[in-house]
Amino acid sequence: MRAILQPALLGAVLVMSAAVMGCATPPPASDPDALAEYKENNDPLEPTNRVFYNINNGIDVVILRPIALAYHYVMPETVRTHTHNVLTNLGTPVVLANDMLQGKPRRAGDTLMRMLINSTIGLAGIFDVAGDWGYPQHDSDAGITLAVWGMPDGAYLFLPILGPSNPRDAVGFGVNLLMDPLFYAKGDIATGLSYGRLGLGAIDARERVLTDLDKITAQALDPYATIRSLARQHRHSQIDDAINDKRATNPWPSQPAASQPAVKKTP
Amino acid sequence: MHLDGVPDMLTRRTLILATAGLAAVPLAGRPAAADATDQALAFIDKLGRDLTAIVNGPATLKDKQAGLEKIVDRDVDVVEVARFCLGRFWRSATPAQQREYTELFHKVLVNNITGKVGEYQGVSFIIGRPQTRDDVVAVSSTVIRPGNAPNKVDWLVSMSTGGPKIIDVIAEGTSLRLTQRSDYSAYLARNNNNVQALIDAMRQQANQQS
Repeated sequence: MRAILQPALLGAVLVMSAAVMGCATPPPASDPDALAEYKENNDPLEPTNRVFYNINNGIDVVILRPIALAYHYVMPETVRTHTHNVLTNLGTPVVLANDMLQGKPRRAGDTLMRMLINSTIGLAGIFDVAGDWGYPQHDSDAGITLAVWGMPDGAYLFLPILGPSNPRDAVGFGVNLLMDPLFYAKGDIATGLSYGRLGLGAIDARERVLTDLDKITAQALDPYATIRSLARQHRHSQIDDAINDKRATNPWPSQPAASQPAVKKTP
Repeated sequence: MHLDGVPDMLTRRTLILATAGLAAVPLAGRPAAADATDQALAFIDKLGRDLTAIVNGPATLKDKQAGLEKIVDRDVDVVEVARFCLGRFWRSATPAQQREYTELFHKVLVNNITGKVGEYQGVSFIIGRPQTRDDVVAVSSTVIRPGNAPNKVDWLVSMSTGGPKIIDVIAEGTSLRLTQRSDYSAYLARNNNNVQALIDAMRQQANQQS
């Protein structure tokens, strides 16, 4: 219920605010360069997005950033690293499901091994033993799955609280919540823990970008546009990484399969 | 070479071998491209060694910053990057504006890079595989900083101006020059596409930093 409500609410807020505040006007066809730029930015809701960017920024300055700063200075680096490891480990079931839905057996294998090794030998994920053993962590979520399936990202959205997104990733965010087995745990303790995890996840994520984000806001002439560009490029590279991971399931390909490319090469 | 005494047969055979060699070239990849790739690889390897030597060296902060600036001037095609970042507005700018903009761009770039010198203490590079497209070679690398997850950094090296020069750095999939260009174009869009407004903002930025 709660999981379904959240994306629905976000959607409603977005549609309403877009209706109230309107859209950016595209430049006239007589200015092809400006038009090309407008299309490249793919941000028809820019005025609305900027409002949410400013709101988020306000919330960040007053609440999230100070908490992240306190977390950074109060907690020793090792504690922060291991906390991050635990949070990452809690997310592995969803990552695994998405790897499988993307049809990436080797990525799914990496994630499965990470989950098994780190949950046991890594003491509930405190230590990233699997990473040292050759099973590196990678990003995978429902938004990436939808992208691998061929869904385009659509126009840029700056969502309240969530930040840079687009229609596909907003849907992916909701799907990702529904995919998490921990979200279906019942009882007060489970609810408390899942909120704790959400809060700690937000603080951890914010702390990890403290210097980077400070630098962007200080160095950019238009931080909103810079973040739009960075977020989109980063997202595309995550998606490309998933699509381009074509490692063979069988590490020892049979003889004919191995010699095939050589035959193909000679025209 | 002493061609005089060499029998006809040998020269002809050499010729045939040479022709065969040339014919084999398309199969083995063009030697020119391979050469450019090697050059770019050696260039980034040297850059990585120079950078780590300066950043991890015993010099004072001021000397380190001066050393980094020298490397930027030596290895980065600042004029080309500056022009790219201004995009379509480069053409509408007057020559004086272009000059002033490029100067400020250089200053801001150097400030941004040298300002980070302290953070990069203990940095090391692992150079990865290069990829060549036209006269641009993308050299991949992994940058390792103590206490940080390893970062994937690709260096775009252009060979079009003779020697190898860096024209872009792509960190974790984000291109520095593309990001910079969208920053400038957004600023210009909100200031009536007035290049002078951008230059003024950049000057303010450069003065604040130094």
